Amino acid sequence: MVRELLQKLLEERLSDSGRAFWDKARAELGEGASGQAFAKLLALASRHARRQPIELTASELAAAEGALPGWSPRAWNRLELLRVNLILARPDLEEDRFAEDFESLFRFADEGETCALYRSLPLLPKGERFVWRAAEACRTNMLTVFEAVALDSPFPVNHFDDTAWHQLVIKALFLDLPLYRIAGLDSRMTPELTRMALDWAAERASAGRPFHMGLWLCLGPHEDQRIEDLIVSHWPSAEPSERWAMGLALARAERTDCLLEQLRREEDHAVREQLQRALDGAYDQEQFAPLFSDGHN
Amino acid sequence: MKYFDPHIHMSSRTTDDYQAMAEAGIRAVVEPAFWMGQPRTNVGSFIDYFASLVGWERFRASQFGIAHYCAIGINSKEANNEGLAREAMEILPEFALKEGVVAIGEIGYDEMTQAEERIYQAQLQFAVDHDMVVMVHSPHRDKKNGVLRSIDVAREIGVPMHKLVIDHNNEETVEDVLSSGAWAAFTIYPNTKMGSERMVEVVRRYGPERIIVDSSADWGVSDPLSVPKTAYLMQKGGIDPKAIELTTWGNALEAYAQSGQIDRDELAKDPVIDQRQSYNDSSILRGQKPRVDKPVPN
Repeated sequence: MVRELLQKLLEERLSDSGRAFWDKARAELGEGASGQAFAKLLALASRHARRQPIELTASELAAAEGALPGWSPRAWNRLELLRVNLILARPDLEEDRFAEDFESLFRFADEGETCALYRSLPLLPKGERFVWRAAEACRTNMLTVFEAVALDSPFPVNHFDDTAWHQLVIKALFLDLPLYRIAGLDSRMTPELTRMALDWAAERASAGRPFHMGLWLCLGPHEDQRIEDLIVSHWPSAEPSERWAMGLALARAERTDCLLEQLRREEDHAVREQLQRALDGAYDQEQFAPLFSDGHN
Repeated sequence: MKYFDPHIHMSSRTTDDYQAMAEAGIRAVVEPAFWMGQPRTNVGSFIDYFASLVGWERFRASQFGIAHYCAIGINSKEANNEGLAREAMEILPEFALKEGVVAIGEIGYDEMTQAEERIYQAQLQFAVDHDMVVMVHSPHRDKKNGVLRSIDVAREIGVPMHKLVIDHNNEETVEDVLSSGAWAAFTIYPNTKMGSERMVEVVRRYGPERIIVDSSADWGVSDPLSVPKTAYLMQKGGIDPKAIELTTWGNALEAYAQSGQIDRDELAKDPVIDQRQSYNDSSILRGQKPRVDKPVPN
C-alpha cells in the first residue's frame, strides 16, 4: 500500500526527463537489473530529480502517515522520492540477492544516496536483516544521514535492541533534534533512558549550558527523584515555552501533585492553559510538536 | 564579490581555512581526486577517499555555506602502480556518476610513462562514454611537452575541446592551450607554480576568455585564498571588472556546469548555513557559538 502511494506521489512530481528515466528504470528493474546496474540507476537519478522539498498537500500527507504507523515522508526531497521508488521497484526485495546489493550500495553511496537508502528501511520486507546497517547510520557524523534513519521512521523502535535505541534517542537529544518525530518514543520510555537523560541534564547544568527542548520528552514514569528536583529547580529561570514542556514532562512522569503545584504558582496565562491540558491527559509526544521549530509541525 | 575555486583539496585543509574562505567570498569549490602525499597501498584506500569526496567533505563544506563539487579520477603518480591502478579503475564508475561530480580528474601525466598513458586513456574514454568534463593535471617537469601530449591524446579519444580543462598552466603553455580550444586554468601557488602578480599580467595580455584561476591548495605550503587574493591584485592592477569576474567565477562555472551537476539557481542564492549540523561528541565547532542562517558576506 505504501509502495503504490509513493509511486503516485512520485509520478505526480516528475519532470519529462524524470518520467522517461523512471519508466525505463522500472522496466530494467522488472527484468532483474541488480548489482552495478542497480547502483548506476540510483546514481543517475540525480540527473532527473532535484533536492527540492516534495511539498505534500495536507491530504497526501494524511494518506501517507495513515499508511504506516509512525512513518512520514514529510522531510523527504524529490530526489529521495525517486530513489526510494527505484529501490521498491525491485521484484526481489525479500531475497538474499537484494539484501547483498543493498548492503554493498552503502560502500559507494554519496551523502544523498545514503539518506535515500536509509529512508527506504521501514518500507522493506524482513527489516530484521538490516538492523546492523541502521545502527551503523546512528554512528554517522552527518546530521542529514542521522535524521534519515532516526526521524519519522518506525524502523528503530521496531527493530533496535535497548542499547541502540537509547543511543539513538540520546544522540537526537544531543543534536537538539525534534524528538517528537522519533516514532514510538512514548512506547519505549525505559528507566535507563530516563537516567541517561537526567545525567545529560546534570552535565549541561555543570557546564553552564542550556537544556535542549528534547530533554522534556525523555523522562518517563520511573522512580527517580531527580525528575522532580530538576524541574522544580529549573522552573523559576525557564522561558514560558520550556515551562510548557516541563508541564508535559511532569504529566508524562506521573508527577501529578507536582504539576498541580506548578500550575497553582504559574502566572503566565498561556502556560497555565497548556499545563491544564497536560493535567487533562494531553501529554503524548505529539503535544511537543509546537515547541520545536523544525518546519514540520 | 563571490569566487569559485575550481581546484582545491579541502580534505587536507582545516576548518579555519573554510571559515577564512567563506569570509573572503568563496562560494563554490571543486575538489579533484589526487594522491595523499604518499602512495596508497590498496584499493580500499581509493574507495574511502572517493567516498569522502562525495560524502563527508561535501557535508563539511556545506556547514560554511560553500558548495562543494568534486572530480573523480586516478592521478598520474599512482597510475604507475599498475596492479593497484587497474583495481582503482574498476571501482571508478561507482563514484564518477554521483551527484555533484563535475568532471573526471585530476588526471594526466607525471613522468609520462606508458603506465600513466594507459590509465589516462582509459579515463578519457570513460569521460567520453558518459559525456563528462575532464580536468587535466599538467606535469611539473617537462611541462610544455606534457601539456601538448595531454591535449593530443584527449583529442584522439574524442574529448570535445570545450569539455577539457588543462590545469597548472604558465606563461609558456597558455598559448597552446588556448589555441586548442580547451580551458586554461592557472594555479596560484607560492614558490613553485604561478604568483598572483604574474597572473595579473597573463589576464592583461590574453584577456579573460577560457582562463580560470585556482589555488590547488593541498597538504603542502599553499594558499586557500589564492583566488580572492588574485582578484584583489587584478583590481588594483586596473583589470576590467568583467574580466576579474570571468576568471575567478564565471569561466569555472561555465566549464564545470557542462556536467549538468551544478544547480545554477541554488548557487546564485545566498547560502543558508546551519552549523548545528554537527555533533557535540565529534564536532566541527568546538565551543564557539554556531552561526545559523547568516549568509556569507560577499
